[in-house]
Amino acid sequence: MRAFSSVLTENKEENLPPKTPPYLRKGDRIGILSPAGNISAEDCRVAIKTMQEWGFSIKLGATIGKKDFTFGGTDEERRSDFQQMLDDGSVKAIMCARGGYGLLRIINQLNFKKFLQRPKWIIGFSDATVLHSHIARNFSIATIHSKMCNSFVDPAKAEPVQTETIDMIRKCLVGVKMKYEAPVNPFNKKGVAKGMLTGGNLKTLETLAGSTSDIITKNKILFVEDTGEYLYSIDRMFWNLQRSGKLSGLAGLIIGGFKIKPDDEGEEFGKSLQEIVLEKTAKYHYPVCFDFPVGHQKNNVALKCGVMHRLRVENNAVILEEI
Amino acid sequence: MIIPPYLKAGDTIAITCPAGYMPAENAATCIETLLLEGYRVMAGETLGSASQNYFSGTDEERATEMQYYLDDKNIKAILCARGGYGMSRIIDRLDFKMFLKHPKWLIGFSDITVLHTHLYSRYKAVSLHAPMAAAFNNGGYSNEYIGSLLAALRGEKGNYHSAPHALNKTGIAKGKLIGGNLALLAHVTGTASDIKTKNCILFLEDIGEQLYNVDRMLYQLKRSGKLAHLAGLVIGGFTDMKDTEKPFGKDVYEIISEIIEEYDYPVCFGFPVSHETANVALKQGAKYKLSVNEGGANLKET
Repeated sequence: MRAFSSVLTENKEENLPPKTPPYLRKGDRIGILSPAGNISAEDCRVAIKTMQEWGFSIKLGATIGKKDFTFGGTDEERRSDFQQMLDDGSVKAIMCARGGYGLLRIINQLNFKKFLQRPKWIIGFSDATVLHSHIARNFSIATIHSKMCNSFVDPAKAEPVQTETIDMIRKCLVGVKMKYEAPVNPFNKKGVAKGMLTGGNLKTLETLAGSTSDIITKNKILFVEDTGEYLYSIDRMFWNLQRSGKLSGLAGLIIGGFKIKPDDEGEEFGKSLQEIVLEKTAKYHYPVCFDFPVGHQKNNVALKCGVMHRLRVENNAVILEEI
Repeated sequence: MIIPPYLKAGDTIAITCPAGYMPAENAATCIETLLLEGYRVMAGETLGSASQNYFSGTDEERATEMQYYLDDKNIKAILCARGGYGMSRIIDRLDFKMFLKHPKWLIGFSDITVLHTHLYSRYKAVSLHAPMAAAFNNGGYSNEYIGSLLAALRGEKGNYHSAPHALNKTGIAKGKLIGGNLALLAHVTGTASDIKTKNCILFLEDIGEQLYNVDRMLYQLKRSGKLAHLAGLVIGGFTDMKDTEKPFGKDVYEIISEIIEEYDYPVCFGFPVSHETANVALKQGAKYKLSVNEGGANLKET
C-alpha cells in the first residue's frame, strides 16, 4: 500500500539556502529517461548524438522505448528508472526525453535523499513542471526548464532558432551566465525586477495547487506558458493563481507562448490573453512582459529555475539575465 | 451548518446567470414550472442579456445582480440558470453578510460548484447541487430529477438509488455530503473556496475531459489530501470523455477505481449526478448516509 504524505506542508523553501548543482564538465554523464509519455530510442537519437558532440556521455534509461499505453512504461517502471538516475552518482544531469502526462503519478514515490547529497541538474518542461516546482519547494535546488529530446533536430536541417535554443541547454549545463531578449509587446508593463526564476506550464501548476509540490512565487520572477487550452480555461487558471495568492507578491511576471484553442462557435470569450493577464495584475506594480520565448514552440529558450535573474521591461527592450 | 428555510407557496425564487450567457427562451419552461409550483419568480437582466461575448454580462453586472439577490431578504432561493464559466471571476467580490442574516437556497451545478464549496468552507451554509434552467426543457420538467429539486425546495429529504456496479466497494458511510464538478474542485484547490473533505461523503462528476486529465485531477485531489480520509465516495456521470490518439488504456471508472484502491471506504459508481438528464438534487453540507451493497447504492439524507 502506498503512503501518501501529501497535504500542504509548511514552506520549507524559505528555510533552505538556494543550491545550484555542479555544472558539467567534458566527459560527464547525462541520463535520459521518460517519466511521462512514451518515446522510442530512435526519437532520442539526435539528442543523444548532439549531447555526445557537446562532450558528454549518455546513460539511456530503461523507460526509453517502453510503452504502457500513452506512458513510457508503467508507474513502477517510470518510478524505478527515475529513482536509479537520481541515485546514480555518475549521472550529473537527468533529461526528461519528452512531456505528455505522468510525473504527477510518481512524484510522491521518488526518494530524493541521494539527490540531496549530490544534487544534479534536472531538465525538461511541460509535464516536467512537476519536477521544477517540487524540487524548488522542497529542496531549493536549481533546475533547467528547456527543450527535451523530442525537440532536438538534425543540425543539417535545423533552423537557426532551433540550433540556438538547443545549444542554450549546453550553455546552462556548463555554467554560462544566461541572457535572453524578448520582443517588445505594447501590452508590457515596464519596470525592473530582481528575483529567483520559477514557473512552467500553467495547467500543470494548477494541478499542483494544494499539494506538497505547490509552487512558491513570493519575491520571484514567475514565467508561465501553455498549449491547447481555451481562453476561458486560461482565464480560470490565472484566477487559481490569483486566488491562491500566487500573483500578489511577485517580483515580475513573464508570459511565454500560449497556443490558444479557438473558441467554439457561440462561446466567444471576448478577452485576449493580454487582457486576461493584465486585469489580474492591474493592482500590482511589478513588470509584466508578453511573448517571452518559452513554451511549446521552436523558440523555447533554456531557463535556470531557482537562480537569481534580473528582468528589465523597457520601451524598446525586454531583457532577462542571470545575475 | 446553516440550513436555509425551505420554500412555501408564494415565496420568490430569483433566476440569474452568474457565468455563461443563456437566451431567455431557454429558461421559459423552468420559469413556468416554478410558477405552477406556486412560487413567484424574478428573472435578472443577466438572463438573455445583450452580452456580445461568452459571459452573460460583465463581471460587474453578474456580481451586482447576484449581490442584489443575496441581499434581498424576500428572495428565498437563487437558481443559477446555467454554468459554463464565470463564477471564479466574481466569487471574491460577493458579500455574504446579508445572506448570513437571511440564509436562502443557492442552486446550480458545474461552474456553480465554486459557489457551493465557497459557501460550505467559508460560511458553513448548505446549498443545492441540482439541475439548472435548461434541464426543464424537452419534457424535463416532469422527470424525477427536476422532481427531486422541487421536492428538496419543499423540504423533503433526498433518498436516491443507483444500480449495482462491478467497481463498487460495499459498506456504510455517514457524513456531510460535499462535492461537485471535478475540474472545478481541482481548480479551487489552494484558494479561499477550497474544501476539507475529512469524514465527508464526496461526490464527483464531470463532462468532456480528456481521460489523462481526469487522472491528473484525481491525483491533485489525492495529493492535496482530499481522498485519504473520506467517509464514502459517490461517483456520478463522467460523460463525453475524450481520449488521446494513443489510448490512455483505461476507462474513466477504472481510472478512479485505481486511484482510490488503497482506501477502505464505500464507493459507488454510476450515481445519478451528471451533466446528463440523470442529476438528482443534493444538499451540499447536509448529512447523508451512503449504503453500498450487492443490490446497488443508496444515498439518503439523514
